Order: sequence, then structure tokens, then C-alpha cells
Amino acid sequence: MKKEEAILEVQNLSKVFDANTDNEKDVLKDVSLQVARNEFLCILGPSGCGKTTLLRCIAGFEGYEGSVLVNGQERRLPGTDRIMVFQDFNQLFPWKTVEKNIQYPLKRQGIRDKAMLKERSEDVLQKVKLSGYEKYYPYQLSGGMKQRVAIAKALALKPEIILMDEPFAALDAMTRNELQDELMRISLEEKCTIIFITHNIQEAIVLGTRILVLAQEGKIVVDEKNRIEKPVTPASEGYGATWERLHSALYQ
Amino acid sequence: MEDKKRWAHTLAARVIFVAAFLGLWEYVAKSGMMGEKSELIFPSLEVIGGALVKNFVQGYAGMSLWVYIGNSMRLLLEGLLIGIILAFLLSGLSMVSRVFYDICNLVISVFDLLPGVALLPVVIIIFGVKPGVIVFLVIHAVLWPMARNVLDGFLAVPRIYIEAGQNMGLKGASLLWGVYIPAATSYIVSGLKVGWARAWRGLISAEMIFGVASCPGIGLFINQMRTNMNNAEMYATLVVIIIIGLVVQYGVLSPIEKCTVKKWGMSR
Repeated sequence: MKKEEAILEVQNLSKVFDANTDNEKDVLKDVSLQVARNEFLCILGPSGCGKTTLLRCIAGFEGYEGSVLVNGQERRLPGTDRIMVFQDFNQLFPWKTVEKNIQYPLKRQGIRDKAMLKERSEDVLQKVKLSGYEKYYPYQLSGGMKQRVAIAKALALKPEIILMDEPFAALDAMTRNELQDELMRISLEEKCTIIFITHNIQEAIVLGTRILVLAQEGKIVVDEKNRIEKPVTPASEGYGATWERLHSALYQ
Repeated sequence: MEDKKRWAHTLAARVIFVAAFLGLWEYVAKSGMMGEKSELIFPSLEVIGGALVKNFVQGYAGMSLWVYIGNSMRLLLEGLLIGIILAFLLSGLSMVSRVFYDICNLVISVFDLLPGVALLPVVIIIFGVKPGVIVFLVIHAVLWPMARNVLDGFLAVPRIYIEAGQNMGLKGASLLWGVYIPAATSYIVSGLKVGWARAWRGLISAEMIFGVASCPGIGLFINQMRTNMNNAEMYATLVVIIIIGLVVQYGVLSPIEKCTVKKWGMSR
């Protein structure tokens, strides 16, 4: 990959938990990674391999050694160019309606025009199929709907990269499949760059255009393009072989 | 529908309870079972009712009870306002500076345990007998429980809200205003409840201990009734104190809860 194409560049990132104590642990050790524009990167890995920490470092929620560059610019703190969608359903502000949750960060960015705000929030809500829920408060929504709003909120900001930390992991299987389909459709329509963390091999194959498997300390053991044609089903050509390959890398 | 039924049930239970209480009172008053002091301890309801009217019409020292209530409420509001602002200031600064937090925590713990009335002699020596003393005591009553609650509320804000806020570019004051304060609303409301109750009691106690002639309040009024053995008027004033308390509870605090934490599903 040529360097100019990279929207995100992680260089020699290291992160130590409980530094200078008996429990000192290298969570990430010298991780380097490039992500191209419009790539849908799925990161697989066993629990404790540091994939969530890697995402949090990129988002700017954690301190670390090394550097994270977005379009060649160093980033250390959280910002609206990297929007995080968390696994936790309670990431929306309960004191704001669905609509206001989406509009608030836009207002913070300086968009004051009410009509424009409304248009933006309606547009993204339609994309996640939640039109008509503008005036609802988060507590009135199901878990899946809250995650849809969180995705809509991220889309509305038009960030450089959307960071997703197992956003569907706590959903039931049916809702999860439904949301996977929608996220895939949206990612194709919107031309956005997404880094998506998951435990689930099927999810990675269905969504990713590129798949990474991490081992302990964030060591990259697999880094491959996902060439299976979208939409992916278990019957797609190459699905079985890819699944086997990722599975053996994950459980080695 | 279910809500309406529940509400009617609550109302009926309360009305029956109050009616029974008043009936019992009237029975004891009329029967004269308390001996010769009966009229002082249990003035009958019509006597208290008459005293209530008299309090407002005739009043004491040429002033209706309204004037006393007005004076008290003015000092109370002034103290509450300053106390609440200071509470937010202390808890806000505590979130910014660790050293400030440690000191603030200690100060709150120490002063929260000090009854305002116990401070009264010192405060009078410093300020003299002025309405300002009452305001000072109201501030003292509301500030510490309020600051404690707001601080606890800030510390209990889930990390995910803070991170979501930082992710959209909030920091410092905007993070405090945009995330910490709304997320801690249930704590803030309960701080308001405790603070208001303490301030109201503190105010009446202080006014009973010393009345400021330039600004006589409801506590002074009840104390004058006591010294003059106008027991029916005293009871009538107690009823007024209770009614004001209920008005604030149901007219101010409950609506605040209803438009915030209840509406947001943060409290049932």
C-alpha cells in the first residue's frame, strides 16, 4: 500500500498496563498498522489480545507510546475525526432525545442552522431505518435501536474514521444479523472508513474488506484482504476456506 | 389508566388519614381529657382556624403574617441561591483539581456535621444582629449537603458518557455543562431536597433564637406567639410552615424531577 493512500497510520504503538508494578503487562507491543481510505477493517482476536485497547488508543482515550496519524497528522486526544461506537448500549445521553443526541455534536461543530440540523439527523436516521423515532428518549428504545442511533450519530458527523468496538456483541442473533446487513449496506453507500472490532469470525467475513487477526500483545498474525464478494453468505465462494483460516489463526 | 387508579388510591389514603387525624384531635380537644391545660395543648380546630385567620388579618406588632413570611422567604431564597451556586463551584473545581478535591472533601465532612445554630453565637459576634446572619446560616445549611451530593453525582457519572462527550470535542467547562451536570441530575435533585429542608429548618431555628427587628420572619412570629402563650396562633403558624414546605415539595421540587430525571427514564 502506498503511504499517501493511508487515512490512518499507527506507528510502533506500545501500551503498558500497571507500569512499574508487579502486575506490569504489555498489552500492546510495537504495533504498526495502516488503514486505507474507505476500507472496512475488521480486527479479530481472542480476549485480552489488546484489540479494544488498540481502538481506544486510536480514539485518544488512552495514553500510549508511539504515534497515531490521521491523514498524516499526529493525534493524541479524542476528536470528531475519529468517532467511537461503543459496545455498551448506554452510550447515548439519556437526557437528550434521539434527534438531539445526533444534533448535539453537530452543534458543537458550529452548525447552528436548525433546518440543516434537522435535515442531517433525519437523513442519518433514515439510513439506520429509525425514521419517526426522533422524539424518543433512549430509555424508550431497545438495545438494537440504541446501537442504530449510535451509528447514525457517528455517520452524521462524517468523521474520517468510525471506530466500532464490538457494537453488536450484546445483541441477540437475529438483531445482530439485521444490523450487520445494514452496516454493510451503509458502508458501501457512504464511502466511510471503519475499523470494527469483533470476536465473531462470521461477522468479520460478512463486513470486512480487510481482516486482521491479533494475538497476545497486539501481534498481527493475519492481515488479508477479504475478496469474497458482498453480500457474503455462508454459501459464498471461499467462505469456508476463509473461515477455516481465520479460525485456526485465532485458536492457534 | 393504571396510573390514574394508583393516583386516586394514594389520594384517598391520604385524605382518610388526615381526616382521621383531625377527628381524633377534635375529639381530644372537645373531651377536655387533658385536664385544665387542655385548651393550651389541644386547642380545638375552630379555634386554630380562627387563629389562622387572625394571624393573617391582624398579625403581630401591626404586621400581618404575610409580611413575616415574605421576609423569611426573601432571606431564604437569597441564601439558597448563593449556597447552590457555591455548591456547584466547589464540586466543579473539585473535578478539575485533585488537591482541591481532597481539601473540599474534608471541609464538606467537617461543616456538614456542624449545626448552623451552634455557629450562631460566633456569627453574631462577627456580623452583629443583622439579616445577613440568617442568610449566612441558610447558606451554611444548604451548601454542604448540596456540595456533597453534586460531588458524589459527578463521581458517579458513567465513564462512557464522559468518553462520548470527549469524542465530540467537549472538555473542561463544556464537558462539565454538557455531560457531568445533566448526568448527575438525580444527585443534584436529591441534594436540592436535602438542602432545601435543612435551609428551611435552619431559617426557622435561627429566627426563633434571635429575631431581627428590621427583618422579622416567620420564626420570630412563632416565638412571639409562644412567649405570649397564644397557643392556637402558634399551632396556626406551624400549619403555615407545613403548608409552605408542601408547596415547595410539590410545587417546585416534584416538577423539577418530573421534567428531568423522570422524563429521561433515569428515575422511576
